[in-house]
Formats: sequence, C-alpha cells, structure tokens
Amino acid sequence: MIDPKVLVIIPAFNEEKSIAGVIREVKGNCKADILVVDDGSTDSTAQVALKEGVKVVSLPFNLGIGGAVQTGYIYANENNYDIAVQVDGDGQHDPSYLDELVAPILNEKYDMVIGSRYVQETSYKSTLSRRVGMVFFSWLLYFLTGKRIKDTTSGFRAVNRKIIRYFSSSYPTDYPEVDVIVRLFRKNCTILEVPVEMKERQGGKSSITPLKSIYYLIKVSLALLINILRSRGAL
Amino acid sequence: MIFNVYMLSIAFSILFLIIIIELVRKNRLLEKYSLLWILFGIMLLALSITPAFIEAIARLMDIKYAPSVLFLFGMVYVVIYNLHITVVLSKQSQQITRLNQEIAILKEKTGDFKTNDKA
Repeated sequence: MIDPKVLVIIPAFNEEKSIAGVIREVKGNCKADILVVDDGSTDSTAQVALKEGVKVVSLPFNLGIGGAVQTGYIYANENNYDIAVQVDGDGQHDPSYLDELVAPILNEKYDMVIGSRYVQETSYKSTLSRRVGMVFFSWLLYFLTGKRIKDTTSGFRAVNRKIIRYFSSSYPTDYPEVDVIVRLFRKNCTILEVPVEMKERQGGKSSITPLKSIYYLIKVSLALLINILRSRGAL
Repeated sequence: MIFNVYMLSIAFSILFLIIIIELVRKNRLLEKYSLLWILFGIMLLALSITPAFIEAIARLMDIKYAPSVLFLFGMVYVVIYNLHITVVLSKQSQQITRLNQEIAILKEKTGDFKTNDKA
C-alpha cells in the first residue's frame, strides 16, 4: 500500500464552537479526507463544518455516538478507504497524533490502533469516577479476553480496511467503545495502544451524569458478557 | 350461577376476537401481528368453555381457586407477547438507524444537502 486512502471521521453533536478548530487542526496534520458526521445537531455544527470545506453527512435525527460513527464507516466502506480514523468533534483528541495512529496499521499490520491516555503518564486529568470506570473495564476486558487495553473508552482510534467493512455492517448503537474491543479480540483481530495527550474539551459539555454513568457501567458490562456468548473466529 | 367468571371469559374472548379481526380488516393491525392475538383469543375461549379442563389443571397444580388458572394463562401469554413486541421493536429500531444513516449519506452524495436548520 504505497498511497493509502485515509478518511478522518469526526462525529459531532452540537459542537459548533469546537468543530472548526478540530477540522483545521486535522487539516494541518495530514492530507486525509475529512468527513464530519453531524449527529442531528440542533445548532449550526453542519453549516460551520461545510464552511471549512469538508464533506458533511448530516443525520436526520440524533442517533448517539455509535450510530454516528458507524455512518462514517459505512461511508468509508462505500468509498473504498483503506484506513479510517475517528476523531471526536469536541476537540479532546489532538490531531498531531494522527500519524502515530495510522503508522502501526501500515507498517505492522495492526487491525486497530487506539490513542490511549494511560499508556504513559500524560497531563490528562480525569475525575475519580471516570478512572474507576476505566480500571473496571480494563479488568473486565482482561477477564473476558485475556488481553490488556488500558484506555478502553478512548474514541480516538484508527482501523484498517477489514475492520471498516466489519463496522459498516455491525456496530453497537450506544456506548460502543469497549464493546467493539471485545468483539474484535473475539474475531482474532490485533489491537495496539499508542500513548497520546488528550486535551480538555474545547466547547460543549460532556453528556455524562452520575445516573448515566451507572447505566453506562451496567449496560456495557452486559454487552461485554453477551459478546462472550457470540461466535468466535476470524472476520 | 348463570353469570360466573367462565361466562365473563367467554364473552370477553368472543368480543376480543371480533375486535382483532375488525382491526385487521381495517388495516390497522398487520396480519402477522394479529396471529398471536387470534391464537390467544381462541385459546382463552377454549379454556373458558371447558371448566372441567380448567379444574383438572388447577387440581394438578394445586391451585385452590380454579378460575385463577385463566388469569395465570392470560398473564403468561401477555408477558410472552410483550417479549415478542420488544423483539419486533429492536429489529425496527435497527432498521430505522440504518435508514437514517443511508439517507444522510445519500443526501451528501446527491449534493442535495440541506442542513437541519432547527435553531
């Protein structure tokens, strides 16, 4: 693969304040095509993105992060991209790490590369409940698959052609990050974590509330356990 | 006793069957979703006109009040039907998600892009 076709997928829900900055930073760091998936925003996210001269796919109504990201994968699959990278529209993910995410797929044939906050000590600070959640999911993942991933919920990730095809046909609708890792390990895919710095979100606010966190924890745990009952084997 | 729980149950099942068939006739209920309801109506009717059968089951299961077998049957059936409904709902939910995604991609492709100007 001399000149791989790379698509950067930016899911965005009401991110009119941060989306333009994210797009410019991605453009400044790579030559990849950019697709903004506007997840039924009620603000001017789509218009702002269009003004930046990128492709915008606008969902008629809000689907949640999983449905939005999958739209990007369906697009990537239909347009024969070799690699797809997810970058959040809220500006948490630093696009200067894009190369680090893509390189292991090209050079070492990894199926998926996750930009991780915890592989090395970084300046990223998070709440206690979030860290407890991280450790719990990491442990549950290890218990279920025997593999270690530290930052299971990072949405900063790159995948190869094979995974693009798989995601375009099957992707969890809500809270997909951890779920997807278990699915891929069960399908004998290879996943690498690379250290990245994450920033404070640039605009908008987090969708996580305490009650939602508990729902999240239970729902994802159930999804992971159910995955174990699904069939194994190669993609 | 002319008017007892069995009579009530018979009347209810007949009325229920009529309502179901009427809904299907007026295209307000799809045939495939009416099948389980029609089955329910027929089974309830059959149980109601054979009190001896109900009483036999009650004795077998050590249920003191025989007509409560009818309620048990009704409850179990409703729970199962509810499950069936959530399976249908899940499938439709996935289909709607897919349609949403395909429409968005299609709009982009045809250049017929109109942003959601809800603000």
